[in-house]
Amino acid sequence: MLKKLRNLDFAGKNAIAGYLFISPFIIGFLVFMVAPILESIRMSLSEVNLNLTESKYAMVFNNFTNYNKVFRVDPVFNRLLTDELIKMVYTVPAIIVFSFFVALILNQKFKLRGFVRSVFFLPVILSAGVMLGLEVDNSLLQDMQQLIAESNAATSRITGVIERLLLTGGFFDSFLYYIIEIVNGIYNIALTSGLQIIIFLSGLQTISPSMYEASKIEGATAWESFWKITFPMISSLILVNMVYSVIDYFVRSDNQVMQRITDTIGKGDYGFSSAMAWSYFIIVIAVVGVLAAIISRRVYYYE
Amino acid sequence: MKIGLQQTRSIGGNILVYLILILFGAFFAWPLIFAINNAFKPLNEIFLFPPKLWVQQPTLDNFQDLFVMMGKSRITFSRYIFNTVFITAAGTFGHIIIASMGAYVISKYKFPGSQLFFKIVIITLMFNGYVTQIPNFLVMNRLGWVDTFASVIIPAFAMPLGFFLLKQFMDTVPMTLIEAAKIDGAKELSIFWRIVMPTIKPAWLTVMVFSVNALWQTRASNFIFSEQLKTLPYALSQIVAGGVQRAGVGAAVTLFIMIVPLVVFISAQSNIIETMASSGIKE
Repeated sequence: MLKKLRNLDFAGKNAIAGYLFISPFIIGFLVFMVAPILESIRMSLSEVNLNLTESKYAMVFNNFTNYNKVFRVDPVFNRLLTDELIKMVYTVPAIIVFSFFVALILNQKFKLRGFVRSVFFLPVILSAGVMLGLEVDNSLLQDMQQLIAESNAATSRITGVIERLLLTGGFFDSFLYYIIEIVNGIYNIALTSGLQIIIFLSGLQTISPSMYEASKIEGATAWESFWKITFPMISSLILVNMVYSVIDYFVRSDNQVMQRITDTIGKGDYGFSSAMAWSYFIIVIAVVGVLAAIISRRVYYYE
Repeated sequence: MKIGLQQTRSIGGNILVYLILILFGAFFAWPLIFAINNAFKPLNEIFLFPPKLWVQQPTLDNFQDLFVMMGKSRITFSRYIFNTVFITAAGTFGHIIIASMGAYVISKYKFPGSQLFFKIVIITLMFNGYVTQIPNFLVMNRLGWVDTFASVIIPAFAMPLGFFLLKQFMDTVPMTLIEAAKIDGAKELSIFWRIVMPTIKPAWLTVMVFSVNALWQTRASNFIFSEQLKTLPYALSQIVAGGVQRAGVGAAVTLFIMIVPLVVFISAQSNIIETMASSGIKE
């Protein structure tokens, strides 16, 4: 009976129902996402003259002039890009290690577990707008920073006071500098790893307790069962989190390259900024692709 | 609650776990605590240097000032609130329905082009929105939607993040459930509405939180120009733009805007963590 239903006719009916269900989303997606993205490719290859009074623009095709400008004329793009790439190399592993560690802790039994977990999820909810607004965009904090900077130029950062006290000149300077950088960085790492923690946590909860029991009976220590059970079982999620963190790192609005792109848009240089955005987009995809290819070889998939 | 063998912990281990939790928990909660405290600080305390986290003499002056300024606004303030509530509600509702329908068929019906389309959605997640501002404006212009709510609400229907999360969650709904309903003679639409949607409630609650969060904070200053159609965050940002002397009001505004996404998050909290869980493991 079921076999009869699964003939070509059924598949055909399925396809029609499928297209009907998805068409509203596809139309919206094409009009509001894909069309503007394709338009921006065209912009990146043209000289764009904006006519504000008629809200139109004229585009003159100019080959790869914009791309040439991005990589060979623009004085800062290459520098910002390498800066961010280097920073990514140590930030993303730090995020992974930190979130894995926190997930291990959160997976323990303790009081108020639900409450504590939602505290760790707060940044994910608020980071989209409020949190960033709180830190970067809020004119209140900007004013405050300005005021503080005016009143005492040397202590414009909160750690600046400590820095000034410690960096009195001498052998330990560079060492202390890195420590201060890490302390400043931990806060950012914590705020950007909310989703990764949740993903690791969910993975930890899918590991069957019987595995740990079996290994304990065989005489494995907690240390051994961590490296022989927990780590391989979670390795596929390390890949997922790595990819997510890299993308998240690159498209964050406080990323320097992103800021440079938004700044150029603000100045009205649309062709140039589109070219910059597209170069950046392709580099990000390449980085993600290479990383995924390297890590996925080491991932262990449990049958 | 599967804990495994980790239940056996010494007292020292207990202390260590709680210490680490408190330390990192403080990191995560700090911006929220700071924002709440700031809203109740009198002006001289806001500018205290080095800044103090906890408010010393809590006051409601900031909120009072805020409401006075709201009252002075040229257009009654309830109008801004209505605009934002309307945009948020309509956008979120439409997004959940349309994205769920699409995600449902992508996950459960293998039709030509479905996988390709899903890949395109994932790639657009990596693209940044700033660059498409100008082309987006032209699209709105061509549709005649500039200076209407539609310019904010309709694009919200097609946000890729919600679609992605919903699809990942749909994958966990067993196919047998749908086949059983089909054999009993249920039509496509009633399967979707009466079986799939109730099953994936945690997923659309999650998407709801993200969508409310995004739409509630929209300033819509790119597409909407009439003062009576402006949104609440826009109006509030105008109030704060007054400069240093408005710092107290600014702190109140930050808290004021935060409240709605926060309440929505807290009420849906346990469900969300569940969804994030399943979207992670189903790769």
